[in-house]
Amino acid sequence: MKKNITINLCGRLFQIDEDAYELLQQYINSLRSSFGKQEGGDEIVDDIEARIAELFDELRQQGIEAITIEHVKEIITRIGKPEELTGEEGEKQQESNGTNWEEQARSAGQKIYENVRARVAGKKLYRNPKDKMLAGVMSGLAEYTNTDPVIWRFLAVLFTLCYGVGIPMYIVMALIIPEAKTPEQLLQMEGKDVTPQNLADVVVEKEKQPVQSPSVIRLLFTIFLKIVTAFSVIISIIVCIALSFGFFGVLIATVCAMVLPLNSTLPFSLGAMGLEGAWISNPKMLIIFVIALFLVLLLPIYAIIHMVLSLAGKIRPMGIVQRIVNIVLWLIAICIAVPLGITIANYQNEYYQERYQINSTTTYQGVKMNEEDADFLRRGDWQLIKAQNCNHYTWCGDDYLGSNDVRFLDVYNAHCKEEFQVERREKVEPGIYQLTCYARAEGPGTFVYANSSEKILRPIPVKPDSVEGMGWYPITIDSIVVNSGSIGYGMSSYQAFTGEPCRAKYFSAMDFKLTRIADLQNKK
Amino acid sequence: MNIENAKSQMRKGMLEYCVLLLLEHRPSYASDIIQQLKNAELLVVEGTLYPLLTRLKNDGLLQYEWQESTQGPPRKYYALSPEGHKFLEGLDTAWQELSNTIYYLKNVTPKLLEAKD
Repeated sequence: MKKNITINLCGRLFQIDEDAYELLQQYINSLRSSFGKQEGGDEIVDDIEARIAELFDELRQQGIEAITIEHVKEIITRIGKPEELTGEEGEKQQESNGTNWEEQARSAGQKIYENVRARVAGKKLYRNPKDKMLAGVMSGLAEYTNTDPVIWRFLAVLFTLCYGVGIPMYIVMALIIPEAKTPEQLLQMEGKDVTPQNLADVVVEKEKQPVQSPSVIRLLFTIFLKIVTAFSVIISIIVCIALSFGFFGVLIATVCAMVLPLNSTLPFSLGAMGLEGAWISNPKMLIIFVIALFLVLLLPIYAIIHMVLSLAGKIRPMGIVQRIVNIVLWLIAICIAVPLGITIANYQNEYYQERYQINSTTTYQGVKMNEEDADFLRRGDWQLIKAQNCNHYTWCGDDYLGSNDVRFLDVYNAHCKEEFQVERREKVEPGIYQLTCYARAEGPGTFVYANSSEKILRPIPVKPDSVEGMGWYPITIDSIVVNSGSIGYGMSSYQAFTGEPCRAKYFSAMDFKLTRIADLQNKK
Repeated sequence: MNIENAKSQMRKGMLEYCVLLLLEHRPSYASDIIQQLKNAELLVVEGTLYPLLTRLKNDGLLQYEWQESTQGPPRKYYALSPEGHKFLEGLDTAWQELSNTIYYLKNVTPKLLEAKD
C-alpha cells in the first residue's frame, strides 16, 4: 500500500504516489538548478513540465489511475538527465565562443576542478545531515575524505581545547560549507552519480528513515547559524555598497586624471591629487597601483553580489576553486596596492624636496640659490627681505611681452608655501611719483608694493584678461608721496608684510619703473 | 572512435537545421516536433529540444503563440519569424554546399585519382 497524493501540473490534476512525486519534484528542481544560470532557463523548465503533464495525460488515457515511481523513472529517461540536456547546449555555446579567453579560462578552471574532484572520488563537500552532532561539519569532512567521523570529532575537541581555536573554525566551516539537503546533493556528497535510479533510491531511503529528533543543543546551534548568516549578509551588503562608492570614486578620479592636464587646478587632476611627482617619476608604478586598487575593490563586490544572488537561489554558489582563486587574487592585489600606495605617497615628498633643492654653492644675501638667480638679483640691486620655500627666484621665457629671452623675478612653490619679498630702494628728490611694472600670479595673496611715507600694496591680478599673454598684466601705483630721501618698491607674498596668506603657486614681476609726476608744492 | 558517438555528433549539428525545416511551412508545438524528430531518429532524449527552441526563440528566429487544445492545457505553437526564414535560406545554401562537397569527395575525387593513375 502506498500513500497517494494529487498534484496540479500545468493546470491538470494527477494522482501520483508519494515517492514518485518526490522523485519528480527532485528531477524538476535539478533541472531548474542546472538551467537556472542560462538565459530563458525558467521557460525551458516550464516547457518541460508541460511535456511531463502531456505524458501523464497519455498514461491516463491508457487507463492508468495513479502514476508510480516506475512511470516517473521512465519519463525521466525519455526526457533526459539534466547533465545530458545542459551538456548539449553548453557544448554549442562553447563552440561559438571558442575564441573568448574568458570562456577558455573558465573551462581550464573547470578542468582543474574536475581533476581535483576525481581525486576525491567525484565527491563534493557538504555538511552531512544524516549523521550530525551539531551542524554535520565533521561527518561531512569524514564523508568527503572517506574516513571515520570519530577522527574528525576528536580533532575538533583537541582544537577547542587549544584556547578554543576550534570553535570559531567550526562556525566558519558551518557557514561556508553548504548542507546536503536535496537527494542530488546527498548523492554528490557520497560520490555517487546523479542518475534517476540513484535519485529514486535516495528518495525511498529517506522515507524509510525515521526522522532524527533534534536535540536542544543542535536546534539552538541551527538557530545561531541562521542568525549569524543573516547578520553577515546584511553586513556584506553594507560593505558592498561602501565598496561600490569607493570603486566609482576611484573610477571617476582615474578618468579625470587621464583627461585633465597634469598641473590643472581642477579637482582630480594628477597635480591636484598630489600624484604629479609619482606620474613624472614612474608612470608604470601608478598604473599598476590603480589596477591593483580596482581589483581590491571589485573582487569583494563581485563575491558579495555572487553570494547574495546564490542565497536568493538565482545562481549556483561559487565552486571551491573559484573561491580560492578569488581570495588569492585579492590577496595579491592587496600585497601590490598597499606597498605601492606607500611608495607613491613618499614619491610626492621626494619629488618636491628635489625640486626645492638648489644644487649650487652660490648664495645671495645668505640665501642659497642658482648662479643666474643671484646674478640677476645682484645686478638689479634687489634686497631679499624674505626668501623661504622658493625653488627658484628668477625665470626666463614664458613669452614675456612677446620675448622668450628676458629674465624676470619669479618664485615657485607647488604647495603655495613660498614666502618671498624683494625690495629695491632708490634715492629720489621729494615729489610725487608713479610706479609701473608688469606682473602675473597664479593665485591671490601676491602683491606689488611701494614704500615711502606710507605703504601702498597693489594686488597682482589673478588670471587677468591676459594683456600680453601668459598672464602678464601691467600694474600702476600712482601718487607715491616722497617727502625725503628714498623710495622702496618691490613684490611680496610675505604674510607678515601683506597681511594676507599666499595662495599662488607662482608669481612674477618685471620692469619696475619709477616716474616723477609732480612736485610736492604743486600737490599742496 | 565510437561510431555511435560520431553519429550523435552529426545529428546534433543538424538538429537546429531540421527543427527550422520542420517549422518552415507549418507551425507546430513541441510534442509534434518531438514526434517527427523521433520518427526521423534524430532525437535521443526529448529534453534536448526545449533548450534549443528557447534559444532559437531568444535569437529571434522563432516566434510562438498560445493556442487552445481540445485536450489539456493551451499549447505553444512555434513558427519561423521573418529572420528565421532568412536564416533558413542561409542554412539551405550551407547544406547544399556540404552535400556537394560530400558528393564530390565520394564520387568525383576517386575518378580523378583513377584518371591520373
